[in-house]
Amino acid sequence: MSNFQPPAPSPQPPAPSLYACLYQPPAPDVFDDQRGTHRARRDSSEKPSAISALTVVSPLVQIAEAFSPRYERHGDDLVSIDIRGLDRLLGSPRTIGDELRRDAAERGVRAHMAIARTRTAALVLALAYPGLRVVDAGEEAAALAPIPISILEKIDHVQPQSTQSSQRSIGQKGSVVSVISVVKTWGIRTLGELAALPSADLAARLGRQGLVWQAIARGDDTRPLVPTRPEERFDATHDLEWPIDGLEPLSFVLTRLLEPLSTRLEARDRGAAALYIALRLVTREIHARRLDLPSPLRDVRTLRTLALLDLESHPPGAAIDQVTITIDPTPGRVLQHTLFTRPHPTPEQLSTLLARLGALMGQDRIGAPVTVDSYRPGAFTMKPFAIEHDHDQRRARRHRRDTLGQISASAAVNASEVPSPPPPLAINPCELRRGSPKRQRRDGGQFPAPRPQPPASNLPPSLADDQGERGSPERQWRVGGQPPIAALRRCRYPVPAHVAIGIEARPIRVTTDRRGFAGGAVTACAGPWRTSGEWWTPGSGLEARGRLRDQSSGMWDRDEWDVALGDGGIYRIFRDRSTDAWFIDAIVD
Amino acid sequence: MPLAHPLIRPDRASLVAALAARRLDRTLTTSLPPIDPNDEYAIGSTGIATLDAPLGGGFPRGQLSELVGPRSSGRTSVVVRMMAAATDRGELVALIDALDMFDVASAVAAGIDLDRLLWIRGHVVSNPGMCRDMNQRALEQAIRALTLVLQAGTIGLVVFDVGDAPSDALHRLPFTTWLRLQRMVEGRQTMCVLVGSEPMARSSAGLTVKLTGPAFPPDGASAFADAPADRRSLVRLRAKRYGETRSSPDVGASEGGAGQHQHAGRFSGRLFDGLNVEARVVRARTRLHEDSVVSFATAVANHV
Repeated sequence: MSNFQPPAPSPQPPAPSLYACLYQPPAPDVFDDQRGTHRARRDSSEKPSAISALTVVSPLVQIAEAFSPRYERHGDDLVSIDIRGLDRLLGSPRTIGDELRRDAAERGVRAHMAIARTRTAALVLALAYPGLRVVDAGEEAAALAPIPISILEKIDHVQPQSTQSSQRSIGQKGSVVSVISVVKTWGIRTLGELAALPSADLAARLGRQGLVWQAIARGDDTRPLVPTRPEERFDATHDLEWPIDGLEPLSFVLTRLLEPLSTRLEARDRGAAALYIALRLVTREIHARRLDLPSPLRDVRTLRTLALLDLESHPPGAAIDQVTITIDPTPGRVLQHTLFTRPHPTPEQLSTLLARLGALMGQDRIGAPVTVDSYRPGAFTMKPFAIEHDHDQRRARRHRRDTLGQISASAAVNASEVPSPPPPLAINPCELRRGSPKRQRRDGGQFPAPRPQPPASNLPPSLADDQGERGSPERQWRVGGQPPIAALRRCRYPVPAHVAIGIEARPIRVTTDRRGFAGGAVTACAGPWRTSGEWWTPGSGLEARGRLRDQSSGMWDRDEWDVALGDGGIYRIFRDRSTDAWFIDAIVD
Repeated sequence: MPLAHPLIRPDRASLVAALAARRLDRTLTTSLPPIDPNDEYAIGSTGIATLDAPLGGGFPRGQLSELVGPRSSGRTSVVVRMMAAATDRGELVALIDALDMFDVASAVAAGIDLDRLLWIRGHVVSNPGMCRDMNQRALEQAIRALTLVLQAGTIGLVVFDVGDAPSDALHRLPFTTWLRLQRMVEGRQTMCVLVGSEPMARSSAGLTVKLTGPAFPPDGASAFADAPADRRSLVRLRAKRYGETRSSPDVGASEGGAGQHQHAGRFSGRLFDGLNVEARVVRARTRLHEDSVVSFATAVANHV
């Protein structure tokens, strides 16, 4: 590092490329009242958000679009433009720069401009100097040489838009600053001194990033310009010569519209996140439907099937005159298959299956059950059924890790004969939940004992060990080692029953008017278990009396019994304490 | 077994016995190659080791299987455990609940991963009765849903639950329905389990397990023989806590009189402790496993 060499001339690219770079510095008059400091405008390294990229067009972008279709937007305040070929239209690079400056002045934009044969040189010059700078061919390194090395902090974060998702973290940004400070301790102050360092020694000390910085200091392009393309609109319209009435001919029209859209989506590596179908009817009405797809799709048959299934359940009211399809694009799905998890239906298959089932049974009749935070008997809700492939892969990795950990733990135990620690105590989260049932006898009668709770080890895995991973060895032990749970078959609408009460206030006979529930004498019974809830919510008071409040309001107040009847069945019956009516709630099966 | 005079119409039982004697009681599944009981891709465990033993490892994949029994015989308990075992293996489970009687709390207690459960709820006939209006259309709708799910494939366990549907509605289904479903599931890694009160698929079924409640022991002692030790101790603890003895559990047995059906429940005073289940393999691919009987007990769960 001691033998400094004179700066070597940077190799001149043979292609007559020409780039212009526009940088809009932050306005100095913006004052933050709260902090009392000058508020810096958006840093050039800050990437535009998706919303701003779609809705707000930067004035620099408007200038770039006026001069060339090939431009790269690094941010709202920094744009690189490929102006190759403009010399035949406007003249020399200096003339092109004047035109750029004039256009910017007309738009009221005060920007730094630089024109050079390399994109990097133009970008660095625009960031470093105000006004217009034009660099002749082969003079890039000399033009960049006096620029302070701290300019690299800004350059380092200028990335193409395709890599916006992998934005560098604050820690990495700090590391760049620290490395530059280290370079400054070597006595390197300018880009020219950095460009003169031996490349091999620089790479040995700073790695690949050092070579990249040296290339920037020499004005060499480390990557080509990545043109920013406006968000493409995926829609297609077909005017029918004759109105069509029926879904079968419509399927051919949909196929004709979807095929080119699918091709365009594939070329842009996009999938359809939502599908809009607008049918203009002969009555001049628009029959519009929207399909939210669970995963990005671009398969024509799948999209057509989903559209037809939706239109089957929501048919248009008249013949169709015009068909318009619009697709909301989204980045394509990247799925890495694994050998460690079971194959699942593809999103296309699953979407089609759910759409067919929804058309057959109703959309509200299919899905995945979800428990709710309530003690209400039979309470649940549903959510759309979906497969999380990433979740499966994480689960498989965790399972392998647990298995390996178990093997290593057992090996350690065998080696040292150390007893394994006891399993962690399980905590019933239900005890911590709000809305615990009220177990108080109001009429002063026999106080029903609370339903006995099994010990913590008998709790269901999802309740007893929320922090445990599904599929863990402990859970497998529970599923495989514990006796099966006596499950219930819930009567979604409780069946009214006639119950005769014996001398010990116990039911002795249960009969119903329903077919399928023979009823009979009570051969065994257990109870009563009193439970109530939601009596504190408004609208569940006395006005709700006279009807089955479990269904019509949020409140419930009941005494439950488990009874075995003469027909061989075991039922869960309850007495609604507000109406004194008996119902069959579930069947133990 | 000689048949009766051709002019005399034999009853169903004698016909079945005659066909079984000539090994003609099944036509589809016995010609299939044998299944390796250790092959996870050919057998799906039920999660109940006691029941897996006579089944040769579990329920076969790629076949229609039946789990039949009367009400409160433990059908749902076994099915819920099967679903929990399937989701624990990472499989997807589809439940066609024709009468919409699935209890989510029981599923959670059994350990089912609800995110892997596709629940297809049939339309409830609320008035005047759950079963009176269980017409053919609703059942056929459930059959169509089952067909769609089987066509999708790659679902590990498909349960078709018509446990409380009236038998006449099931009998009106054409026999070709089950043949078609069997052909549909054949060659796939899907376990299709039909849950009903009596066998439905007949010769299309690869495995039929009939659940019954065992004859209740007179002294009530042996009813807990199959229950795990912790459950027995728990029951004794409860009896001691409430000052009750585990006397004859069937409190109202004498009240029922003659002609009463025996129930499979275990009652001890004010506690219901679960079901005693007896499973009999009525039909299996290999006759070696047929007519084997196992017994096990279910336990009550918290908040169910």
